[in-house]
Amino acid sequence: MNNQEKRTDDLLSKYITSERIEKAPDGFTSKVMTLVRLEKSHLVSEESSWKKNLVPVLSIVVTVLLIVSAYLIPSGKTDSIASPVLSLIKNLKLSFPDVNISSVFRLSLPSVIMYAIVGIIILTVFDRALSRVFHRNK
Amino acid sequence: MDYKGDLYYIEQILAGNSNSFSYIVDRHKDKAYNLAFRICGNHEEAEELAQDSFLKAHRSLKSFQMKSSFATWFYRIVYNTSISHVRIKKKGVLSLEDFPADATDFIGSNTTEEEAENEYRSSLVNFALQKINEEERGLVSLYYYEEMNTDEISDVTGISKSNIKVKLFRARKKMLEIIEKVEKKKLIYHE
Repeated sequence: MNNQEKRTDDLLSKYITSERIEKAPDGFTSKVMTLVRLEKSHLVSEESSWKKNLVPVLSIVVTVLLIVSAYLIPSGKTDSIASPVLSLIKNLKLSFPDVNISSVFRLSLPSVIMYAIVGIIILTVFDRALSRVFHRNK
Repeated sequence: MDYKGDLYYIEQILAGNSNSFSYIVDRHKDKAYNLAFRICGNHEEAEELAQDSFLKAHRSLKSFQMKSSFATWFYRIVYNTSISHVRIKKKGVLSLEDFPADATDFIGSNTTEEEAENEYRSSLVNFALQKINEEERGLVSLYYYEEMNTDEISDVTGISKSNIKVKLFRARKKMLEIIEKVEKKKLIYHE
C-alpha cells in the first residue's frame, strides 16, 4: 500500500471502525428454518406425485404397446391395413412368434388370447417390480 | 451449546437431519445480513437477501466441496445474490441533499449526544456506500466489515487480487470525497 492509499485507508477506517455491524433481526433463524422446511415439503410432495404417476403411466405405455403388437400379429391375411408395417416387422424379424395354441392346450382359441395372457403376466411383473422400487420407504 | 464447526453440521444435514441447518444459520446470519445490507442499503431487502442466500446454500449443500471453507463459499452466495438484486433493481442516484446536515437530526428521545454522533457517522458511511457502485460496495463491506484480506475477497468475488486492490482504492477515494462533501455541507449549515 503506497502513502496515498494508506492515507485514504486510515481516513475511511476512522469512520468505519466507529460503525456497528448490522445484526440480523430477531427470529431470523426460525424464519429461515420455516422456509427450508416449506421448500423441503414442497419438493417431497412434487417428487412423490411424480413417482405416484410414473407407475400407471408406464403400465399404460406397456399396455398400449401390447395392444398394438397384438393388432400387428400376423394373421395370415395380407389385406390388413397394417400390412406394410407387418412386412417391415417381418423383415426385421421383430414380430412375435406364431404360437399354435390348440397344439398346446388342445383348445380352439384366437391367438390374441395368448398374447393378452402374456401381457397380463408382464404387467403384473412390472407392477410388482415398480411398486418395490417406488414404495420402498413405506 | 458449543458450536461444533460448519463441516460437522453440514455432514448432519447431508445425512438427512435438516434441523442442523439452524446452527449454521445462527452462526452466519449477522455477517450475511450485514453484507447484504451494505450492498443493498435497505433493511427489509437485506433480510430477504440473507434468507434467500441461506435457502440457496441449503439447496446446493450437496455441491459444496468440503475442501474449501464453508464461510467463503457461503459469502460468495450472499455477495452474488445481493449484487444481482441491486443490478436488477437499480435505484435513482442519491443527492447530497438527501443526507441530514447535522448529528442533532439523529437525536431521539432516549439518545445521548455521543450516541447521536455515532448514529450520524454510521449513516454517513452508509450514505457514502450507497453512492458508489454495487461491486465496490461489496468489496468495501468484505474488507472493512467482514475484515477479510484480499485473498479471501478474491475467493468470494472471483475478482483477481490486483483488481481488488485497484477497485478498493477507487471505492475508498469516492467514499471519502462524498464524506468530505457532506461534512463541508454540515459546516456551511452551522455558519
